[in-house]
Amino acid sequence: MAYHSGYGAHGSKHRARAAPDPPPLFDDTSGGYSSQPGGYPAPGADVAFNVNHLLGDPMANVAMAYGSSIASHGKDMVHKELHRFVSVNKLKYFFAVDTAYVAKKLGLLVFPYTHQNWEVQYSRDAPLPPRRDLNAPDLYIPTMAFITYVLLAGIALGIQKRFSPEVLGLCASTALVWVVMEVLALLLGIYLATVRSDLSTFHLLAYSGYKYVGMILSVLTGLLFGSDGYYVALAWTSSALMYFLVRSLRTAALGPDSMGGSAPRQRLQLYLTLGAAAFQPLIIYWLTFHLVR
Amino acid sequence: MMQPQQPYTGQIFHPTQTYTPTTSQPFYGNNFEDEPPLLEELGINFDHIWQKTLTVLHPLKVADGSIMNETDLAGPMVFCLAFGATLLLAGKIQFGYVYGISAIGCLGMFCLLNLMSMTGVSFGCVASVLGYCLLPMILLSSFAVIFSLQGMVGIILTAGIIGWCSFSASKIFISALAMEGQQLLVAYPCALLYGVFALISVF
Repeated sequence: MAYHSGYGAHGSKHRARAAPDPPPLFDDTSGGYSSQPGGYPAPGADVAFNVNHLLGDPMANVAMAYGSSIASHGKDMVHKELHRFVSVNKLKYFFAVDTAYVAKKLGLLVFPYTHQNWEVQYSRDAPLPPRRDLNAPDLYIPTMAFITYVLLAGIALGIQKRFSPEVLGLCASTALVWVVMEVLALLLGIYLATVRSDLSTFHLLAYSGYKYVGMILSVLTGLLFGSDGYYVALAWTSSALMYFLVRSLRTAALGPDSMGGSAPRQRLQLYLTLGAAAFQPLIIYWLTFHLVR
Repeated sequence: MMQPQQPYTGQIFHPTQTYTPTTSQPFYGNNFEDEPPLLEELGINFDHIWQKTLTVLHPLKVADGSIMNETDLAGPMVFCLAFGATLLLAGKIQFGYVYGISAIGCLGMFCLLNLMSMTGVSFGCVASVLGYCLLPMILLSSFAVIFSLQGMVGIILTAGIIGWCSFSASKIFISALAMEGQQLLVAYPCALLYGVFALISVF
């Protein structure tokens, strides 16, 4: 008994002086005063709101402190896992765009025939970000184009009275699967042809995502002008996209300072680029013809 | 293990009386008069809410970058509920869609803005801005209660309101995150998000 009361009194005085300690788990009932069930500062609960007066119960404060620490621990874990798979800094390079770049790039995707210089510019061995170099690939346009394509598919199906949320999800996942397969096929081709290039996965994702712009234009023309308009727009955007891809990938695949390598390897690179370009109209047609009937 | 010479006069779990808090936060003692007002304790600041609402309602007024420093989700919650209520008045019970689309849209904008800006942005800030700029959409859905929006006038009105919402949202984002030359680029995904809300209102 004496030990318990002495320990209790000592504990309370200790905690009364050292403010940053977490709130104790027991009520001190020693001495000649009743234990206060009222509020006390909860220094461990370092959260944005100060409701320590509303929660008089010490257990609730402890639970709150525990909960907030669990939440921040969970957030850190998510960040760590994400950084293991995706390098955010490399990804940020592809989103460093501005309005002028996007406008010019969209114009280039629709009419690439008059553009002269297709080389990606470098500064000290690092490629310039898309803000400063029109030829650099970006991921903003493909992402926005993909989302716009999914919404437009929803609208087109709604106009044809065939809309339902499941169909929208089906459209979106079909398009996504085709993108993934194309990127994997290109990666495989690059690996087999042992092309020494600095085309990372994100570059390939960007280049294969540019076809969504053509798809959106074809679907829009098809909705506005009927089936004939759709085929005309399909032909125009396919040829523009093929030209754009062949010109961009030929210089990108060669890298900043290579002399081209041996002749068979160059031929392989050429075939790879031409094959990728020829695949585009097929996939554009496949993914859009059912929206324009 | 020392017995105190005089009885302990302080209050348990409180610092002793010689401790005077010098921080800006008031000392939450047991005194009723020292309590801060309830709204201040909950973090709801009506003046800031009103300022942010005015910023949304005047699309041509230049936004102040510092108003987004404290993220406040009370206003956006009220606006979301009001939007759902006006949809309810028109006979569409679609609270689930509203919440689902706002969650996915906020997540998408959060990822995009973090990738596009130099400084990062917190999720609460994104949710707060997108929620405040939902206010003109409430006007649209209250129109839909009385008139049907499926004619030409309805389409023009819808397009105008989507433009208004996304313009205000992008204006606040670029002033808060100091992104230059990217206003249209931020406005386009906001327009897509508000377009989906408009689709719910119209159809």
